[in-house]
Amino acid sequence: MLLWLFQQIGQDIRAFNVFNYLTLRAVLATLTALTISFIVGPAVIRKLTALKIGQSVRDDGPQTHLVKAGTPTMGGALILVSVTVTTLLWGDLSNQYVWVALLTLVGFGVIGWVDDWRKVVEKNSRGLPSRWKYFWQSVIGLAVAVYLWNNASLPAHTELIIPFLKHATLSLSALVFIALTYFVIVGSSNAVNLTDGLDGLAILPTVMVASALAIFAYVAGNAVFSKYLGVPFVPGAGELAIFCAAMAGAGLAFLWFNAYPAEVFMGDVGALALGAALGVVAVIVRQEIVLFIMCGVFVVETLSVMVQVASFKLTGKRVFRMAPIHHHYELKGWKENQVVVRFWIISMMLVLIGLSSLKLR
Amino acid sequence: MKRSTERFGGDSCAGEAGTLWRHQNPPVRFWIISMMLVLIGLSSLKLR
Repeated sequence: MLLWLFQQIGQDIRAFNVFNYLTLRAVLATLTALTISFIVGPAVIRKLTALKIGQSVRDDGPQTHLVKAGTPTMGGALILVSVTVTTLLWGDLSNQYVWVALLTLVGFGVIGWVDDWRKVVEKNSRGLPSRWKYFWQSVIGLAVAVYLWNNASLPAHTELIIPFLKHATLSLSALVFIALTYFVIVGSSNAVNLTDGLDGLAILPTVMVASALAIFAYVAGNAVFSKYLGVPFVPGAGELAIFCAAMAGAGLAFLWFNAYPAEVFMGDVGALALGAALGVVAVIVRQEIVLFIMCGVFVVETLSVMVQVASFKLTGKRVFRMAPIHHHYELKGWKENQVVVRFWIISMMLVLIGLSSLKLR
Repeated sequence: MKRSTERFGGDSCAGEAGTLWRHQNPPVRFWIISMMLVLIGLSSLKLR
């Protein structure tokens, strides 16, 4: 909206044309999302506390977590509002990718909201039954995949890019593209959700990955840079830098309240939505494998659950003291803060490795 | 009488002693402030 407004004013006052630059709007989007979350955050936490929307804590988990019982949850709604408002303010609303990303974010947010609401407010321990949760995630994931396939204007928009190798691409058939897109979106959504078990553990890696994806989106949307760096040119993808920057800003502000000891948790409403948003951006800018690398912490958390469940069902033995793996380290004696900050450091390293794929090939 | 402007020397200790920030919050919040300042610094590359 502001972009459109400034473009109109820019016809008379040329200085306003500076807002056409993606880089400037990305910085402003980050600051806007930060400001919105900082201003609205305390009020949201007070409201959630007053409504007694408090997190229940698993009684078989680490004993140190029992003090977290009652901490307000569903704070992810704050992130969603902040990202949506900021993107609507600074993004180009005629861009199809902006709407795909926003609708994915909001769609998965609604699924998470219903799940959280049933668990926390209606005291229904099952929440939204798993099969319904996966059904609605699949509906949105498949809808996005089909839309992106049908609207791909160049072969490069549906090819799988192999990072670190020059001109290494795999042409995907419609079925494979749709299946891959589905798994990236739904998988990253659930992976972030599984990781969201310690104060601040999920949100900072999300911020880091979103920031890196903002760079990938900017490069992919720029004909000169994409050619120079050998990444597929996706006209219009640059606008996703605004969306990613808004996610980074809102996430950073949320960390202010979510840092140990957390005043609020994001809940499924935030975790499912942010994970899906990362997935859809990676698909649009054709960096699915790089996303897999950068989201290594989320991937390992998910694998730890899968390995634990498979091992217990097949052999009756547990591989980890507790899954997801962050609880394993807590039970080994690491303090919660140590687990969180060390996982952040690993995420930073993985994001740097992902970013290096822009040049190293 | 000499009065200190902060409860403790160093803003981080002042934050901990205050009622707004609970113990352990200051490190991460100071990191967030640093990140924001770095972002503002980086924006000077374009904003001129």
